[in-house]
Amino acid sequence: MTVQARSLVRITAPRQTGPTLLDRMRRSSLLMAILAPLAILIVWEGLTRVGLLDQRFFPAPSSIIVSMFDLVESGRIFIDAAWTIGRMLVGFVLGAVPGIVFGILLGLSPTVRAFLQPVIAALYPVPKIALFPLIMMIFGIGEASKWAIVAIAVFFQVFYSTLAGVVNIDRIYLDVASNFKATRWQLCRTIAIPGALPFIFTGCQLGIGMALVIVVIAENFGTQVGLGYLIWQSWQVFEVRDMFVYLLMVSLLGYGSQMAILRLQRAVIPWKKDDAG
Amino acid sequence: MSSDPSTTLDRTGLSPPAFPKIRVRGLGKRFQVGKAWVEAIKAIDLDVQAGEFICIVGPSGCGKTTLLRILADLEAPTEGEATIEQSDPSNPLSSMIFQESSILPWMSIRRNVAYGLALRGVSEAEIDKSVDRFLALTGLDRFADAYPHQLSGGMKQRASVARAFANNPEILLMDEPFAALDEQNKALLQEELLRIWSETRKTVIFITHSIDEALVLGDRVIVMSRRPGRLKAEFKIDFPRPRRVYDLKANPEFGRIGREIWTLLREEVVGP
Repeated sequence: MTVQARSLVRITAPRQTGPTLLDRMRRSSLLMAILAPLAILIVWEGLTRVGLLDQRFFPAPSSIIVSMFDLVESGRIFIDAAWTIGRMLVGFVLGAVPGIVFGILLGLSPTVRAFLQPVIAALYPVPKIALFPLIMMIFGIGEASKWAIVAIAVFFQVFYSTLAGVVNIDRIYLDVASNFKATRWQLCRTIAIPGALPFIFTGCQLGIGMALVIVVIAENFGTQVGLGYLIWQSWQVFEVRDMFVYLLMVSLLGYGSQMAILRLQRAVIPWKKDDAG
Repeated sequence: MSSDPSTTLDRTGLSPPAFPKIRVRGLGKRFQVGKAWVEAIKAIDLDVQAGEFICIVGPSGCGKTTLLRILADLEAPTEGEATIEQSDPSNPLSSMIFQESSILPWMSIRRNVAYGLALRGVSEAEIDKSVDRFLALTGLDRFADAYPHQLSGGMKQRASVARAFANNPEILLMDEPFAALDEQNKALLQEELLRIWSETRKTVIFITHSIDEALVLGDRVIVMSRRPGRLKAEFKIDFPRPRRVYDLKANPEFGRIGREIWTLLREEVVGP
């Protein structure tokens, strides 16, 4: 039989040392954020240099940067970006406003919900871009049809988010409004809209993303300007390096619009404790 | 989605001198749960005089909250009637203080406290006067512009109390407003509530599951039976005011009445 010796386990504070360079790098979120794309570009560049990637489809990032400078110098790309942004924004507003209005209406009134929801639910699964030919027949091939198709796509995203937002408002707040004898409109203004705002903003974020997707496809038709048009055009003339520049622009536009909505959300919802993202 | 109970509260407004502030006669409420009917409360008769502070204790699920929600016009009764005397037609009938935090997260504390007045279209100056008064009485003046998420649970319930009083209703209905607070905050808020109440002399119906709380606050304590809730017994509480929570608890009479109420309540909680 052995006797186990008793041992003492000591817990002490770790020795305090200043952060090393590596620690500081790890903590810099900006540095961490650009590390992965940088790595991809370096690997990409290397693979094209040794001939493992087909230059016809994946031109070396360095050559894309060269064409980017050319395009930026000519300035045309900004005019086209402005057209795309304009179409996105007009379509977004035309879709988001009715989306919010109907979302709140259906959220607050079971009667309106029972009346309209089946119609909206039946239209929702139709791929929005499949409606584009019909939209062009109705609105012509000009700007109006682009606004309309973007608006339709945005509407559904914003509508469903708003509806979910209103339906999910804590019952107690409705009781408060009811106890204080709020009218329908006061209920809307003081409870439904602010209560659903976080959801409304989520819907706007989904909606603006959808707006970009739709506008880039729609710019293939009946226009000579816009980033979408340029992408399709560079496909027709097989100008792959330019196409990558346009794709990069579209991606920046997508990122920028998401950020803009987030900024707006932080400004409009000061009562939220923590902002995601 | 909002409940829209038909108003069955009688608003005749005329009151003979002896008429109580609140008169409840034969009040009952049945709910349908699936195919079965459940009786929440049954044959409740109750008179509350103007300026009286009534506490109702009962086992959980006895329909206390249902009774309160009917008086708040949030639900309609299925039998009987409740009458509230309206002394001033410009005053709202009732304001409720809810158990959970019901302070609106998207408004500053000031706007929360002003909520009822703002909905009624009271003038800015009048709102400010009343809101400032009750913010000061609840010790919230320093937090007037804060949002609720910046405040503790106790502070939020203070705001709830301030909002109800600022609305200047005929009667105040309180549904276990301090149940979720820790002991220390509870004692503080009980004393603050008594102080504010003694300044305004509003008629209060306060629901609680805590016998101690009922004894500390009330002029009268009413014991409810288990479901279907009926009024089982009534105790007149004569402790002098102003009351302090722990002075009162040291009083042997407090313990004696408390035990008597618990004996009654115990039968209801345990069952026959």
